[in-house]
Amino acid sequence: MNSMDASLLIWLNGLSGNIKFLDDAMRLIASDYLMPLAFSLSMLGLWFSGKTSSQRLTYQITALIGISALSISNIVVWTINSLWNRPRPFLDHPDELNLLFYSPTDPSFPANPVAIGFAVAAAGWTVNRKFGLWLFTAASLYGFSRVYVGVFYPTDIVAGALVGIAVYRFTSYLRRALEPLVPMLVRLARGFSVG
Amino acid sequence: MSVNPNDVRNLFESHYFLFAFLSSLGTLQIAVTSSGIRGLWLTPYCRVTRWLGIFCIIMGILIFFGQPLFVDGPWAEGSVQAESTTREWGIASWDELAGARNVNDIHGGLDGVDQAFWFSLAVISAFAVSVFVGALSVKADTKEIRVDAKGDVTDGLTGLGHRSYFSNLPISMRNFRLEVRKFWRDGVRSADRWSLIQLIFGGSTE
Repeated sequence: MNSMDASLLIWLNGLSGNIKFLDDAMRLIASDYLMPLAFSLSMLGLWFSGKTSSQRLTYQITALIGISALSISNIVVWTINSLWNRPRPFLDHPDELNLLFYSPTDPSFPANPVAIGFAVAAAGWTVNRKFGLWLFTAASLYGFSRVYVGVFYPTDIVAGALVGIAVYRFTSYLRRALEPLVPMLVRLARGFSVG
Repeated sequence: MSVNPNDVRNLFESHYFLFAFLSSLGTLQIAVTSSGIRGLWLTPYCRVTRWLGIFCIIMGILIFFGQPLFVDGPWAEGSVQAESTTREWGIASWDELAGARNVNDIHGGLDGVDQAFWFSLAVISAFAVSVFVGALSVKADTKEIRVDAKGDVTDGLTGLGHRSYFSNLPISMRNFRLEVRKFWRDGVRSADRWSLIQLIFGGSTE
């Protein structure tokens, strides 16, 4: 399994260095700033969307769950990281990889950026399939770019995606356990004319 | 990297705030035009406001990722190499631009918590700008909106479809004060069997 994982990574990373435009695009997409901001903005946009007040209420509750899932994903990834310190691929295969990114110092498994992307995408999917599909595509592209630049194994990406989706499901149940706190928060926001 | 990470962090914070502010403002404008929340529009015209929103997002991205071409920072000479510690202070060339922003947080890049803080601040600022400019834009478009708003008791974002934030806030606050107890009671009563709140407060709200 590990050798398959490494082979796939080396093959995908081997695509780099041939087309400069593609390398540059992957560096931009893999950046710590572009995609995470896009995911956060998608939840901001969701909060203010909706044509009727009931639709808006659904969107706002989903946005709150999505943002909570994003935060909880970080905690889950951090916990897994502290249990298993999987070295980054460029440490295991220094001569076989073309590193196009800085060398992260935290553990590789699971991919934190992908977990937050998939948590937000799962939230988007529940309110609008098309919107969710765009977000899932963006999160997948983000994951692919991180493999392409040589900082994650493919299994880190898959695990990150599973963590993100699972955390979103868990957060949905958590919301039910805390009912009616979340609608109450939205109602409070409406009192301040922001909900 | 031969520079102090705190200097790099300060630089990143100001740049990231501008990026997040412009992108948030743009996203907000696109969302409020699609849902008809006129009280937050930057102009009285839907299409113009939406294009302005798209423009803000594009400008945010271009400024943030283009800044290394003009502003001195930790992206010169060596930014095409992976390791951010090998870089020197200066401006980036076109060839180095795509990787210029890829600086590890231990060398001055922003970690998740920093980004969450600056993003929240940027969203609040973008909302505040939309509130103030939206109030002017509603004032410029009074005739039609006043007719719509006559006798209207809607509040929150729905109320902002017809009013400025400042006219809408007292109505929203009043409605909230009037409804909050009933809203809570109804919420606890209708919560499903998973609800811990219902378990705790369920009996006292009957």
